[in-house]
Amino acid sequence: MFDRQEDVVERVIEQLRRPVAIDPKLDARVMREIARVPSIDRRVPSWALWSSLATAAVLAFVVVAHPWSRSSATTRSDLLQFVLVAPQAASVSLVGDFNDWDPARSPMQTAQGVWATAVRLAPGRYRYAFLVNGVEWRADPGAPSAKDDEFGTPSSVVTVGGKGS
Amino acid sequence: MIIAALLMTLQVAVQDPRLERLDPDTRAAVRAIVDSARGAGLPSEPLVQRALEGATKGATGPRIVAAVRRLSFDLGTARGALGTNASTPELEAGAAALRAGATPELLTHLRDLRKPPLTMALSVLADLVASGVPPDSAAAAILVLAPKARDADLVEFRRAVERDIALGAPPGAATSVRVNAGAENVNAVHAPPGNPPPPRRP
Repeated sequence: MFDRQEDVVERVIEQLRRPVAIDPKLDARVMREIARVPSIDRRVPSWALWSSLATAAVLAFVVVAHPWSRSSATTRSDLLQFVLVAPQAASVSLVGDFNDWDPARSPMQTAQGVWATAVRLAPGRYRYAFLVNGVEWRADPGAPSAKDDEFGTPSSVVTVGGKGS
Repeated sequence: MIIAALLMTLQVAVQDPRLERLDPDTRAAVRAIVDSARGAGLPSEPLVQRALEGATKGATGPRIVAAVRRLSFDLGTARGALGTNASTPELEAGAAALRAGATPELLTHLRDLRKPPLTMALSVLADLVASGVPPDSAAAAILVLAPKARDADLVEFRRAVERDIALGAPPGAATSVRVNAGAENVNAVHAPPGNPPPPRRP
């Protein structure tokens, strides 16, 4: 059984070792046939390519950069501490331009009625206020008040300087 | 179809999901202002924040829209005064200074006097006015200090004026006294070595 298999293998090898006779005009024939085939433009249309690239760029920008987010990892930032003395308060939140005015984002911690939290801020001018017990708005007594308060409740202002500050 | 998909993607990207906190009519009006501002090259984030402030504080829709529109106008005026190279923080502070009573010409003058960023100088100007200092006095003080004072000097100047006002000093007088002291201190900091220190006020 093995002998028969070896015979077959040897015959195959022998066939494979035979020089292959190639018509010297083969290349010319092939090229001629190719030239006769109607050209098919397989390139991606430029508008489609650019549309795809633009879509990908927008998606990447949205996913990576969060254009609606103010903070930037590449911007220098300062850690600022905010403090409010409110012994009677059950809860105090810091809300402002730096946390989308969302009371849930910066709840303050208390130690015997002194409420505090720290927020990292990039250079800029920020309006903010304290929300006491979820209903009462208070300005920061230790910071400038926002003169342009248009919503009928007090706000304060903190400014973080840029380079050279 | 691809173009339509692209436009939809762009629209989703531009429509800020945070504005969902506004009622539909207010949201549409705010989006229109934000889009217009963005088209004019103005920063949109301050406008969004102003709308969110109004929403969180329970302001009515028309009041929110009016506040956002007014801020957009002020940002545009600030950009006109400070130039197209002004940063978003500078424009925000410039808008606050304008709201406090500063003129566009003052902002331009400040830009010519002081190296950027102007954020702190403009912000201190607005804060002084908010403390009761007459706009002209606050503007004059900032213009005197602006060429040499560091941001930290300006902050200290504002705090000193506010302390004096809290102790009963008339805001204008407190500003003029402190600006003289501030200018002397700034000159001392930036004086060439070897010069005698200026006399200190009691």
